[in-house]
Amino acid sequence: MKRITIVAAAFLIAAAAFAAWGTAAPGGKVAALAGPTAKPKPAKPKLPALPSDVKKRKKWLIGVKCDFSPFGFIDVRGNNEGYDVQVARRFASLAFGNKKKVDFTCVTTPSRIPTLISGRVDIIVSTLTWTAARAEQIDFSIPYYSAVGRLLVPNASSLGLSSLGGKTVVTTRGAIYATWTANCFKDTKLLQVDSPALAVAAVKDGRADTFMFDDAFLLGVATQDRDLKLTGDKFLNVPWGIGIRKGDVAMSRWVNAALRYMKKKDEFVKILRANAPARLVPGFLDNVPRPKNTFAYPVGKDVASICP
Amino acid sequence: MTMVASFDWHFIWEHIPDFWTGLKATLKVAAIGIGGSLAIGIVLGAARAHRIPVLSWVAAIYVEVIRNTPILVQIFFIAGGLTQIPGHPIRLEPFTIAWLSVMIWGGAYNTENFRAGFEAVPWRYREAGLALGFSRLATFVNVTLPIGARIALPSSINTYVSVLKNTSLLTAIGFAELTDTAYSLESQSFKPTEVYFALGATYLLVVWTLSALVRLVERRLAIPETR
Amino acid sequence: MPEWADPVAHYMLHEGLTATLRIAAYAVIGSTLIGVLLGTLLTIRFRPLQALIRLYVEVWRGLPILVTIFIVYFALPTTPVIHHRFGAITGASIGLILWGSAQVAEATRGAVQSIPSEQHEAAAALGFGWIGRHRSVILPQALRRLLPPLVSLLANIIQNTTIASLIGVTELLATGQRSIERLQLTPPGDSHAFAIYAALLVAFFCISFPLTRLAIYLERRLV
Repeated sequence: MKRITIVAAAFLIAAAAFAAWGTAAPGGKVAALAGPTAKPKPAKPKLPALPSDVKKRKKWLIGVKCDFSPFGFIDVRGNNEGYDVQVARRFASLAFGNKKKVDFTCVTTPSRIPTLISGRVDIIVSTLTWTAARAEQIDFSIPYYSAVGRLLVPNASSLGLSSLGGKTVVTTRGAIYATWTANCFKDTKLLQVDSPALAVAAVKDGRADTFMFDDAFLLGVATQDRDLKLTGDKFLNVPWGIGIRKGDVAMSRWVNAALRYMKKKDEFVKILRANAPARLVPGFLDNVPRPKNTFAYPVGKDVASICP
Repeated sequence: MTMVASFDWHFIWEHIPDFWTGLKATLKVAAIGIGGSLAIGIVLGAARAHRIPVLSWVAAIYVEVIRNTPILVQIFFIAGGLTQIPGHPIRLEPFTIAWLSVMIWGGAYNTENFRAGFEAVPWRYREAGLALGFSRLATFVNVTLPIGARIALPSSINTYVSVLKNTSLLTAIGFAELTDTAYSLESQSFKPTEVYFALGATYLLVVWTLSALVRLVERRLAIPETR
Repeated sequence: MPEWADPVAHYMLHEGLTATLRIAAYAVIGSTLIGVLLGTLLTIRFRPLQALIRLYVEVWRGLPILVTIFIVYFALPTTPVIHHRFGAITGASIGLILWGSAQVAEATRGAVQSIPSEQHEAAAALGFGWIGRHRSVILPQALRRLLPPLVSLLANIIQNTTIASLIGVTELLATGQRSIERLQLTPPGDSHAFAIYAALLVAFFCISFPLTRLAIYLERRLV
């Protein structure tokens, strides 16, 4: 009897504290917290209802890259790791209190949208740059990273964005860089491969003159490989979003609320630090959502058609 | 049938030039691959059938390795593995990797086809050739080869058609053949039904036409006894 | 074994090989069931049915397997035909089943037609109807003749599962490639591409070679 009283008292106190915290939260949504039993964790943010599929399953199915370091890759123990992966794990801990409640599916640039649409995964956190064409197929969350395009070249090369005529540019299939090159550099040959590693190999083997890609990946490569370097050109600064099935309003609401929460708590910087070498972090602080910055998709503009 | 109504025929029509460029690349690579497979098949098939020392064993190992490993792994080995041999990296052009890999694959299967064909030539024909004073090589060229090659025709045709179909896997190394062209097109345009319907139709057209043509030739070339 | 090899081998065998064998299992079972059915139906002298099945066989044997898988995985879900969710492993399996069943159908047709007509006549004389005589007399003999090509098919399908890596399935080849990438992008940044691709060739050889030998042995025992 005594034990039950103590438990009941603890529960009531926690519930009261939670209610107090909930009503005091600035701009908090007045929505019920998902989950069969409300665990007495006052630090939990007030998020909208978890989409019913995910709630029923009690875990997330999320598509991530497995060949794109440092956002989605496989570590030495065979586990998924990276910035995107940790965002996904944070969703698991926000939804279920346990960051292990997520199953990852490897996707590639060409296969990520079909994998999302087929229903095999709930969302895709897979280095997905916003483009108008993609926004017609799927819904985007608010941005969770903003990448800048760079050119990777062999050390001896003097290539630059202005001298791409007649050269071969390699990038991944379906990437915004492919569209941009096709639109803006008509006399440049475009080589499309399915993974960033194959593209790096193409540059090293001389099958392409430069690899046009996101700065985070290229910087990692250039740091590791003494024979490659980045040119000074920076272009196509477009944010990335989480891919959500079109019309899945419940999911959009939850994901955006979670991202806003993480942004407010400056969690993206923590994730960045965990995935990038320390000396590179300062250069990327402006690429992640922080309490004071805002990223916006270039809606209405076809960025891939805006030529330098 | 709203599916038929909403099918974007105009899109396919617009992109016929792209498909044609891709198809040309496919046919070029396939032609070299088929020609090479033919040559390898005859030479190594003969070596195996006549039990020529050393060459026969090398051929046997070549055949077993290629036939028991996936062609996609072979392609990646040639494209990515050979460039990393410590000390002696072998770097090849995409076009070279393309025809080389399909040729190596086709050559192995064709070696088996021709070996079976040559071994099926009745011994009495070869005996007759040798009795008439032909050297072993001349007997092979004038007796075994013409008859054995015709026996091997159906199975080698299968191999050649497979070589053509295997060129589709070269999209994995970014070689701009037909499948790669379609894949890239779909990644940008998000019209998978139109693109892959056109892709499938193109392959069926090419493969069926090739098979039909070859079957016509086969009927004319077939040995009277087997017709 | 060099120290980088242990985690790679573990990852490839645990994640990659299991996915490969799963796809192969679905594909072989599906191909055999559908293929034997279609092949038997092909022997019925009913022109429209024969034409339909013949079309199926010629289409799925004429298309490259990669193209079939692209159609199934990328194009099919966007049409009103399919409403079920399926992932890349299912997509690859279905693609392989379409190809495999066409192969098995051809082989079954050949096997059934190779049963001498005396068997049909004897069975009919004993009072068996069409279904009865196929079930009890013809098919058991035909299936025995099908065994060598079925074993070859298994070897072929296991090799063809590598095509699934091109739609994002993490099977054996893909796990090898992810490992190559990981080793190259983390210090000391060595490329072990040659060794890992060679290991992949060896691994597939070790699985496929015994199967093809078995097929040859079974073939010899039949004759």
